[in-house]
Amino acid sequence: MNLHEIDVAVIGSGPAGMAAAVRAKETGAKNVVILERAEELGGLLHQCVHNGFGLFYFHEDLTGPEYAHRFIEKTMDAGVRPMLETMALNISPDREITAVSNKNQFLKFRPESIVLAMGCRERSRGALNIPGTRPAGVFTAGTAQRFINVEGFLPGRQVVILGSGDIGMIMARRLTLEGARVEAVVEVLPYVGGLIRNEVQCLHDFDIPLFLKHTVTNIYGERRVEGVRVAEVDSRMNPIGGTERDIACDTLLLSVGLIPENELSLTAGVELDPVTGGPFVDGARQTTVPGIFAGGNVVHVHDLVDNVTWESEIAGESAARFAMGERIPAWAGIKLKAGRNIRYVVPHTISGNEDVTLYMRVREPEQNVRINVGDIAGKSELIVKPSSMLKIELTSEQLKKLGKNVTEVVIDCQKWGGK
Amino acid sequence: MTRIETVICIGCPMGCEIKLTVGAKGEITKISGNRCKEGKSYAPQEYKNPVRILTATVKTANSSRPLLPVRSARPILKRLLLPSMPVLAGITVTAPVRVGDVVVPNLLDTGVDVIATGELLS
Repeated sequence: MNLHEIDVAVIGSGPAGMAAAVRAKETGAKNVVILERAEELGGLLHQCVHNGFGLFYFHEDLTGPEYAHRFIEKTMDAGVRPMLETMALNISPDREITAVSNKNQFLKFRPESIVLAMGCRERSRGALNIPGTRPAGVFTAGTAQRFINVEGFLPGRQVVILGSGDIGMIMARRLTLEGARVEAVVEVLPYVGGLIRNEVQCLHDFDIPLFLKHTVTNIYGERRVEGVRVAEVDSRMNPIGGTERDIACDTLLLSVGLIPENELSLTAGVELDPVTGGPFVDGARQTTVPGIFAGGNVVHVHDLVDNVTWESEIAGESAARFAMGERIPAWAGIKLKAGRNIRYVVPHTISGNEDVTLYMRVREPEQNVRINVGDIAGKSELIVKPSSMLKIELTSEQLKKLGKNVTEVVIDCQKWGGK
Repeated sequence: MTRIETVICIGCPMGCEIKLTVGAKGEITKISGNRCKEGKSYAPQEYKNPVRILTATVKTANSSRPLLPVRSARPILKRLLLPSMPVLAGITVTAPVRVGDVVVPNLLDTGVDVIATGELLS
């Protein structure tokens, strides 16, 4: 394939990139490539050896590597060309990609359209400003996951985990199974950060202590971590004097949030939403730059891979349509606004003519609520939590009720007494 | 004398809190709180004999990858999760391995095989 005849270039080959590339091919784009900086397709799925992937997309309970395997086969069968060990360094606003690769060295080419699928990365110690010394033994949960599941090293024997995100809880179980002792999972919020199923099967199953409304206030140790100080926090998340206790450990894992990885998007002039950390996207998953689309964790951090796949299929289909000459007006349509107890809604705008699925998160946990999309649709929920993404499907029939001149729709989470 | 036991379903991300009404002889007389039929079969199982899928890794020979990811083909008793780990620690697989290949047959006499979830090319 000649580099100058590429229709769709996808950046990243995790679940988002593979789904987008396959769908772009299926939609009719001729030459579709994936740029992947690693040696193989699949992204972080390879290190997520636990199950729980694909329950909705495949109606099966798969592990990360199995989910990756299915999509690698789809990608190859579809005729997508993977460009491995190739790292995109820059994208210009007129879609010229600059990349380096082991085989081809320095590349410059301009595909008809681009899908951003770079995923996300973890917040690290520097983002939290934890006081203390700077010893070895402080890792993000995902780094520890890679050490244990891919490289074959146990990062420590006595572990404290700060943050109760899904990866943190999954690593608590993984470390326990591999013979380490997890002293505590410490969570600053009054509720668990990840999915409740992970609290049950990762923490409860192995009697791992969970300290809610607590944080790590100091790290001890010169060459290696020797312990951490943990304290209770008040409602403004400030440590409460007199509640401190020291826990001996040789390792501190951080599972304190994920950040969409958008340095490359910024080089192209793509505008980012400060709330999600990802590009503003319309219903077609087009960013603010025409011909550049985005899907998956690069747009907003998901809790389920199935939703990453579905969202990226939209991006892949739109990118193919764009490559074949269809023009989608950038950043037009009806604006979706996050109202009461809604932190964000993706996509940020919709056309109003097509069926659309809205993805959103609440700010605070609440019970017995109704999520209202203006006055055209709603969905009742017994419990909503920031850790569980909410999904509302709207049909074009429902959207017709908005009328012609509507420019904005508010999504609200309202207390609801009914059943 | 009946009592109420609570289990949290791990069948999907919803995490339903399911209430079991348990009679004097330990018999389950009522199940409520589940939002689907999976929950109805999960709850008594979780109350009496909880089971889990085991996911882990085994060592590899003749491969650039030091580890192969594996899982139990079906759920095994929860109390067998930790005792299964020394079995897996004693295993070294050699390439080629395909997804789904049996890595340990009949893990701890459970009748459940441990299978590869990743691929090793030779």
